[in-house]
Amino acid sequence: MPADKQFSGDAGMTCEEFALAALDLDSAADSPVLQAAREHMRHCSHCEALQQQWQALRADLRLLGQETREAQAPDRVEMRLRQEFRTKYKTMKTRRAAVAATWALAAAAVLLILVSWVRWHNDQTRIAVVHPTTTNAPQDTAPQSTGPATPDELGEVLVASNSGDFTLLPGSVPSALEDTTVVHVQMQRAALGALGLTVNEEHAGDWIQVDLLVGDDGLPQAVRLPQTSN
Amino acid sequence: MSSREYSKKAAVAPGEMPIAVKDDERDDVLLRRSAKGDEEAFALLYRRHQAPLYRFALRMSGHPWAAEEIVQDVFMTLIREPKKFDPERGTLGAFLYGVARNRVMKHLERTPRDLSLDEQSERGNGIPSRVIERFTPAEYAESRERSQQVRAAVLELPVEFRETVALCELEEMSYEEAARLLDCPVGTIRSRLHRGRALLLAKLEMLRDAPRRANASR
Repeated sequence: MPADKQFSGDAGMTCEEFALAALDLDSAADSPVLQAAREHMRHCSHCEALQQQWQALRADLRLLGQETREAQAPDRVEMRLRQEFRTKYKTMKTRRAAVAATWALAAAAVLLILVSWVRWHNDQTRIAVVHPTTTNAPQDTAPQSTGPATPDELGEVLVASNSGDFTLLPGSVPSALEDTTVVHVQMQRAALGALGLTVNEEHAGDWIQVDLLVGDDGLPQAVRLPQTSN
Repeated sequence: MSSREYSKKAAVAPGEMPIAVKDDERDDVLLRRSAKGDEEAFALLYRRHQAPLYRFALRMSGHPWAAEEIVQDVFMTLIREPKKFDPERGTLGAFLYGVARNRVMKHLERTPRDLSLDEQSERGNGIPSRVIERFTPAEYAESRERSQQVRAAVLELPVEFRETVALCELEEMSYEEAARLLDCPVGTIRSRLHRGRALLLAKLEMLRDAPRRANASR
């Protein structure tokens, strides 16, 4: 409690009040409390002796304080701390680099998978072999159902979106619709003669696009001439 | 003494490379830089605060090695957990003092109470030459003995009185500064100082009477 508050004032200072006020007696301040404390000390030999002891002790404490006034932690402490600092932040940097590398690798892997899938998907779309819609056959079974005439041998095999205007070749017997495949081929018009069709000799040497309906025996059963080829 | 004064003192300490201490670089700014891995910012913080913490630890523990360990621990905490310091709650200096106090308490709990009378720091900081020059050899010896007695008496004080004496008498802080660092009212500081003083006087009386009593009993 501050001496100002403890000091009751009028009746002079008690020894207890003096003991608290004496903490500040050395200071240059000259408040009424300190004046009263000095006044009390003049009349109380016990408090005067106490104050002298305290002043002696304070001088000793000051000397003790001076002994260690310039004391500082040895340089090795700073060295150790710097080392610890570097270790911590180096570890953090390494960890961050490792995390970044892991993410980069993962991203690269995902990208690779994505590119592979897109390429595979494009290939699948480009070389798709399906049954024509008129046969109602499932499209994904088409490549396996071409029988001896493989797509490589017959040329590019395309999905027949509209195969309803096929013309049966002379002498061929329609087989079950699910066993047929539409094959898109380029051929000379003269070759149609070999299939039993009449050919205009003036245009016999022309190259035309023809859709052949091939049975599971590999023989063409019907033919469709796209309009531009007529 | 404020942390800024410490920083200036630390910056020109003999045997150290002068460092560019920017007064406008506040502690919290330096701490933020340090937390991002800026070693120089950390070094600046260390130099700014280590000396008063070291002296406090030295005066509380009585051992240079313990003080060294405590200061190291305090700054290790700052390296490992910089977010523990909240600028809203006070200054970095007060925070570091708080950490140092905890470390001192732990040290005092785990080590037996033995008194080191050889309190010399490794930078040759014994009694300053200007103090020695004032005394004759006999006076110096007497002064040294008294000083050792005072140190022993301080180290025997209960911790709360010891830290108040260490801050207000040895470090010559104002009551307000000590109250801020110890996180208690100024009245408590005054009261502890008063009681600490009475205890110190009593202990010194005992220490000084001990040889006399020993001689009388022979």
